[in-house]
Amino acid sequence: MSLWRLEWLRLVRTHRLLVLVGTYLFFGFTGPLTARYLSQILGRLGTEGVTVEFPVPVPADGIAQFVGNASQIGLLVVVLVAASALAFDARREMAVFLRTRVHGVRAIVIPAYVMTVVGAVAGLVAGSLAAWYETTVLLGGLPAIATLTGVALGALFLAFAVAVTAAVASVMRGVAATAGVALAGLLGLAVLGGLTPLGRWLPTHLAGAMTELVRGAPAADFGPATLTSLVGTAAALTAAVVLGARREV
Amino acid sequence: MMIRTDGLTKRYGGRTALDGVDLAVPEGSVYGLVGPNGAGKTTLLALLAGLRRPTAGHMTISAPRQHVAILPDTPQFDPWLTGREVVSLARKLVGSPGPAGRVDEVLGDAGLTEAADRRVGGYSRGMLQRLGIAATVVGAPEVLLLDEPASALDPAGRREVLDLLTRLRGRATVLLSSHILADVQEVSDTVGVLRAGRLLYQGMLEDLLVGRAVPAYRVVVRPPVEPVVERLRAQEWITGVDHGGDGRLRVGVRSLVEAEARLARVLADCEARVVSLAPEEPDLEDVFLELTS
Repeated sequence: MSLWRLEWLRLVRTHRLLVLVGTYLFFGFTGPLTARYLSQILGRLGTEGVTVEFPVPVPADGIAQFVGNASQIGLLVVVLVAASALAFDARREMAVFLRTRVHGVRAIVIPAYVMTVVGAVAGLVAGSLAAWYETTVLLGGLPAIATLTGVALGALFLAFAVAVTAAVASVMRGVAATAGVALAGLLGLAVLGGLTPLGRWLPTHLAGAMTELVRGAPAADFGPATLTSLVGTAAALTAAVVLGARREV
Repeated sequence: MMIRTDGLTKRYGGRTALDGVDLAVPEGSVYGLVGPNGAGKTTLLALLAGLRRPTAGHMTISAPRQHVAILPDTPQFDPWLTGREVVSLARKLVGSPGPAGRVDEVLGDAGLTEAADRRVGGYSRGMLQRLGIAATVVGAPEVLLLDEPASALDPAGRREVLDLLTRLRGRATVLLSSHILADVQEVSDTVGVLRAGRLLYQGMLEDLLVGRAVPAYRVVVRPPVEPVVERLRAQEWITGVDHGGDGRLRVGVRSLVEAEARLARVLADCEARVVSLAPEEPDLEDVFLELTS
């Protein structure tokens, strides 16, 4: 029994891994379906006399539907799962049990962070593979390198999001507060990216990378955001450890 | 000394939880820390465990940090863990080598063998307390900081904890905080009395009881009681007589030595029908109430 096994058991026995994978799988299967049949669905729901013309869906639309949902609902689930693992001081007695037996908070934070990222990335990969399969069947093939690169960049964004949650957990007291502040921060980054030229530098730019890559955008477009995500992840984890060590229980 | 603090102070904003505490816990002793609610006992233990930082003062524990174990007053663990996993994790984290069966051994000592593979979420409060004790002792720590270790236990469980603490004397240094003064009196050899963040007394339990208790005798006589009470009150070496009803008398004396020599004769002279006669045993609760009033 170790802290790594503790975090793995947390993912598995609390069904959080199932929720993560299930969420992304759901959108992985429904995204391409929506893209393929959206025009028919809306046509049946449409008002008499009003005709809406939809462009013929292309394979990239299948991925776009998946990424659009995954980057919102999927991210929400990831941050909630991360908050429940990383806000370990919210459970005071368990925090006392751990803090008094390890050589520094880092020994608690790193396994919780890594296993949460493993769960999140597992969900993303499962959902992406499902979306890739559905898209190929319903809409046509996708460029493999671009798709895999998109998955990797999406995984990096999730790693950043979990690191931000870890940093927030080191200053907030409860799970809900941690999740709320982390989500607000990530949303703020997304809004900032949408409103300013900084967008291509922000980690949130990676959330939709898969869509743009399969539509033909060069991978180099995501270089700045990749760099910022790596630096930001390291900084957030460092903050989580330093601030967590200073906290009194 | 295994644990020593010099002027240890802890303030939370404008409130002083500990005020210049000079704690001295001898190595191998069982030190009982007593005090009313809000005295600062939990704060002191948290400081010693490294969970909080002092505002002022110093503290020294003459043992490596990983050999210091703390048991909080209400142990809780992630509910999806089994008891065995909790103890295994505790042992792994402190890097305790020990024999392979050590986990089963401490679970057995805690009476949790049958429940060891059940999830902790289904444990009663008493079982959680015993699991906490097992997780605390599995690494054979040199220093144990115990916050109310027997508070949630039934009489049998309390007896097991007290026996454990007695066995630990000489093998480990125990600092235990408890409201159950009878337990502290039974297992501790050194006592500290904390009130409003200040250490009012610290030293050998025996010295505290003998030094502070007012000497007295407990006498039970059959009626008529009033003539006996009057005769006793007339003695200049008797400081007071309290009649509790049913012939039960508490006779305060100047000294137990005087009482041994003279009390029986006085009772015989007034033809008292004595049912029982014995010196009042010094009680930590009485001394505690006197110190903290």
